[in-house]
Amino acid sequence: MSGNGAVWGRVRSRLRAFPECLAACGAEAAAYGRCVQASTAPGGCLKKDLCAQEFEALRSCFAAAAKNTLTGGR
Amino acid sequence: MPLLTPLRFSWRRLPAAGVPVKNLGLRTVASGASSPSGASPKAFNIFDRDLKRKQKNWAARQPEPMKFDYLKEEVGSRIADRVYDIARDFRLALDVGCGRGYVAEHLNKETVGKFFQTDIAENALKNALETEIPTVSVLADEEFLPFRENTFDLVVSSLSLHWVNDLPRALEQIHYVLKPDGVFIGAMFGGDTLFELRCSLQLAETEREGGFSPHVSPFTAVNDLGHLLGRAGFNTLTVDTDEIQVNYPGMFELMEDLQGMGESNCAWNRKALLHRDTMLAAAAVYQEMYRNEDGSVPATYQIYYMIGWKYHDSQARPAERGSATVSFGELGKINDLMSQGKKSQ
Repeated sequence: MSGNGAVWGRVRSRLRAFPECLAACGAEAAAYGRCVQASTAPGGCLKKDLCAQEFEALRSCFAAAAKNTLTGGR
Repeated sequence: MPLLTPLRFSWRRLPAAGVPVKNLGLRTVASGASSPSGASPKAFNIFDRDLKRKQKNWAARQPEPMKFDYLKEEVGSRIADRVYDIARDFRLALDVGCGRGYVAEHLNKETVGKFFQTDIAENALKNALETEIPTVSVLADEEFLPFRENTFDLVVSSLSLHWVNDLPRALEQIHYVLKPDGVFIGAMFGGDTLFELRCSLQLAETEREGGFSPHVSPFTAVNDLGHLLGRAGFNTLTVDTDEIQVNYPGMFELMEDLQGMGESNCAWNRKALLHRDTMLAAAAVYQEMYRNEDGSVPATYQIYYMIGWKYHDSQARPAERGSATVSFGELGKINDLMSQGKKSQ
């Protein structure tokens, strides 16, 4: 943390909004979580981008929720 | 309570291989791990102590440190319980890695006459909690205790030894400063701590990035703890474990609390960056795999409590060989033997 901490403050405030945005995307998060959990079952194999589809859905929902909270907050 | 920082140690670590043990005034203890052949200094340099000190200072300087103290308060009170359980009063006690003094807070001045609080973070010592025992605050590292041999009747350590690089040596130092018939009561995090967080980050990182790096620091196993205490010279060991489960709204709140407690990762092998995507993925996995019925997620803290005594002649010892009066073969007749004993009383 250097100077007046402006960058740090901005990054932290964005991070603090994460739980709210995540809560708005419960279904997508659950779908992604189920996909990853299924790969941990015996016989499953967790590879990179195994659940890329579910994650994309989650990320777009999250981005939309983040935009809403930001515009709503101003 | 007076705040003295008479001894301020430089934070440059002594090269482990270069300093002969006898220069530090310690008794040499025969221990396999510190054999000079092939013992690299890196073997005992897992954590960045400088960074840990900065993290603890930051945590203690926050506007509301009480918000994150719940775990340390709880463990501090359980250690104080164990101190009360010992039917003795201690004139001089030491708290190694005390933080804001969570053990002293729960003890009274009849049990402990004077308390020395040591920690590497000066802000924690400055914001120490209220206690009725007279205390002296000393800025010191757990591995380099600046006290003479046979000084303390009691040494406690609550949730700070898991960040120590050279744990065998820290325990030997504690043994060194204890008086004969003195006792050490410690608590540190154990193997299962934060396994939910560890697993979620591992799975998310593997899925998102194709590999994973450790984010939760390595913990000592309970068997190793017994061995370490024995090797440091402690007698009559007791190790027991406790699990505290705390529920959080989600993974981000848990990580924020860990940072507020001063428990952020400071291992040298930590990855400098945690991608936002990975964090999001890990939070989703954490929710799905571990959540409770009410939607919160649990975090498990496994605590090992250890009690060790420094040898003194008055302590109970195993009996001499050949002094048995009853044989194991007569175990079947134990009821008769006991009633005979009662009759003769």
